[in-house]
Amino acid sequence: MLLHPFRTVAFLSVLFLLSLTACSQQEHSGTATANTIKIGFLGALTGDVAMFGKPSLDGMMLAADEINARGGILGKKIQIIEADNRGDKQEGASVTQKLISRDHVIAIVGDPTTGITKVAAPIAQKNHVVLLSAGSTGPGVVESGDYIFRNTLLDSVAIPACIDYFANELKFRKVAVVTSDNNDYSVGLSHTFRSAAKSMGIEIIADENIKDGDKDFSGQITNIKSKNPDVIFFSGYYTEGALLMREARKQGVKAIMFGGDGLFAPEFTTLGGAATEGSMVALGFSPEQAAPETAAFVDAFKKRYAGQLPGLYAAQAYDGVKMLADAMTRANSSNPAVFKSTLAQTKNFHGVSGTVTIRANREPIKSPLSLLVIKNGAFMLKNKVPVKLD
Amino acid sequence: MTELLQHLIDHIDPYYLQILVNSGIGIILALGLNIVTGLTGQLSLGHGAFMSIGAFSSALITSKLGLPITLNLVVSGCITAIAAAVIGMPILRLSGDYLAICTLGFAEIIKVIFLNLDITNRALGLTVAPPESFVPLPILVWFVVVFAVVCTTLIHNSRFGRALSAIRCDEIAAEAMGIQVTRYKVQSFALGAFYAGVGGGLYAHFMGYINPSDFGFLKSIDILSMVVLGGMGSISGSIVGATVLSVAPEFLRFMASYRMLVYGGLLVVIMIFRPNGLMGNVRVTELFLRAIGRKPHLNTIDREADRGDS
Repeated sequence: MLLHPFRTVAFLSVLFLLSLTACSQQEHSGTATANTIKIGFLGALTGDVAMFGKPSLDGMMLAADEINARGGILGKKIQIIEADNRGDKQEGASVTQKLISRDHVIAIVGDPTTGITKVAAPIAQKNHVVLLSAGSTGPGVVESGDYIFRNTLLDSVAIPACIDYFANELKFRKVAVVTSDNNDYSVGLSHTFRSAAKSMGIEIIADENIKDGDKDFSGQITNIKSKNPDVIFFSGYYTEGALLMREARKQGVKAIMFGGDGLFAPEFTTLGGAATEGSMVALGFSPEQAAPETAAFVDAFKKRYAGQLPGLYAAQAYDGVKMLADAMTRANSSNPAVFKSTLAQTKNFHGVSGTVTIRANREPIKSPLSLLVIKNGAFMLKNKVPVKLD
Repeated sequence: MTELLQHLIDHIDPYYLQILVNSGIGIILALGLNIVTGLTGQLSLGHGAFMSIGAFSSALITSKLGLPITLNLVVSGCITAIAAAVIGMPILRLSGDYLAICTLGFAEIIKVIFLNLDITNRALGLTVAPPESFVPLPILVWFVVVFAVVCTTLIHNSRFGRALSAIRCDEIAAEAMGIQVTRYKVQSFALGAFYAGVGGGLYAHFMGYINPSDFGFLKSIDILSMVVLGGMGSISGSIVGATVLSVAPEFLRFMASYRMLVYGGLLVVIMIFRPNGLMGNVRVTELFLRAIGRKPHLNTIDREADRGDS
């Protein structure tokens, strides 16, 4: 035997005692103070999806600072409680529960991804805490209950607006759709695109599937080439998008690529090079938007975070905190059971990422939509497409 | 009864309850893999995939058939076990690294199947409605844990368990003693998968949303680490390993961004100081008997197991 059994028992009991002391320490930090309003951040600060979580937290911090500098809301300061969930669903559930029962937050902003939002939403609903997702675009989120909101530009809203613009302004008629099978965002987006295209008279002439992580797309491009589309709609992420375009140009396909915010990353142009020139991306936010709020936000963000330009997630999370503050001010209460109704009545909220209106089904409509085009290896604002409010 | 149990649960901090349930599900999964890897000595890297079979079948049973949760768990466990037996029959003739790679391949196949089936909603995943259950879900989880621990102990000490142990110690010798090695291996594989199926079913209902990508290679490695960290072949080890690995990320939360660094360091330190796992070489029954002043009685195969050939 390597160790005496009693030594093992002693070792384990020390571990146990250690864990007990740590737990009681956590309890101390969790007590609520009367003059702060706590808002929880749900998102990944480490792991694969930290590129969505980190900017969200930055945006929330900036919003909280601005609100606090003007004296807070209802005479109370806003405090952002952060906790990392590593992009893991089980941990996402634990963090949500921790924010609610340990930190006593009144609202949670997050998660930026649809998957974890779907896990967190029933927990928030059950505990009567408002959850506002600043990033999830997939279906089945706000259906969890009347405490669940989001302020994103939904695919189901953005895609018809884009197709309308493509069909009427750019005169595109034939589209090839490429979907990444093992990416939930991609499958959902392609689904929305197909049903919208069908109803708007755009012809889908090819429907190809790839997988995240694939490197060789010669087969798919060969199929697409034979159909000669005007545009390749790709619903996945930038790495595969860039490689697809390189293959397309290699085979002499002239069509440009169009996609959602999954393509919006500098890597898309650096990886794809000249092949991505002219490709277009539809987003809920662009730093080039002319609205005065947006310009002020971009300046403040750059000042706070060493010259960094804010992205979509930072802007949406910033708007999320401001929307919550707005709802609390109008309700004159920081009780989630009260301000959830005023949040649901949000109309034409002028956020930095667009004007948000919450519809009767608690799904947001955000206008305008930014259509970016790649010129000389950089994303440029091509047009702001207004989204029709129903 | 239901109200009483619900009342009991309301007294526990929901955050702790969440961690308790996470560790409970971890224990069930680890106990299952422990039968395959710890007891029978067959390295499997596909336990996460079996968990996904259980999770998806359980979610579908709830939405399409509406069976009560207990029956649901048994059925999804059985479906998983059958799938494992079917997969196991050809591949369990292999052993060691070859088997590990094979299980890895099958795990990937299962994931791809779920990503392409319409009934599992492809990559979008399934939303699982809360189950109708006469006991609250957290209590059900721990009830299953206790049941699983008892069953595993009985299996370990049964003729079947001894045969599996013999296969781990020496396959050829076991075969010479009249043990049908492949058949026993398939049975242990199916049994381990049954646990994974039940664990997956509980996971699906507790999380309320499942997605094929949740059950990838990393999930399998997570479960394997629980078994190895706790001690291969040790039931108490699986319990401790699963608990430590489920609690540690939450427990280390006060370290903010250093959390995962410390977590990784902790694993390294444990494996250096306890190379046979936290509970490797520790026999809980023996310790208990010593503590109450009785001399423990060990038979030969237990001593053999004690030497820890992991």
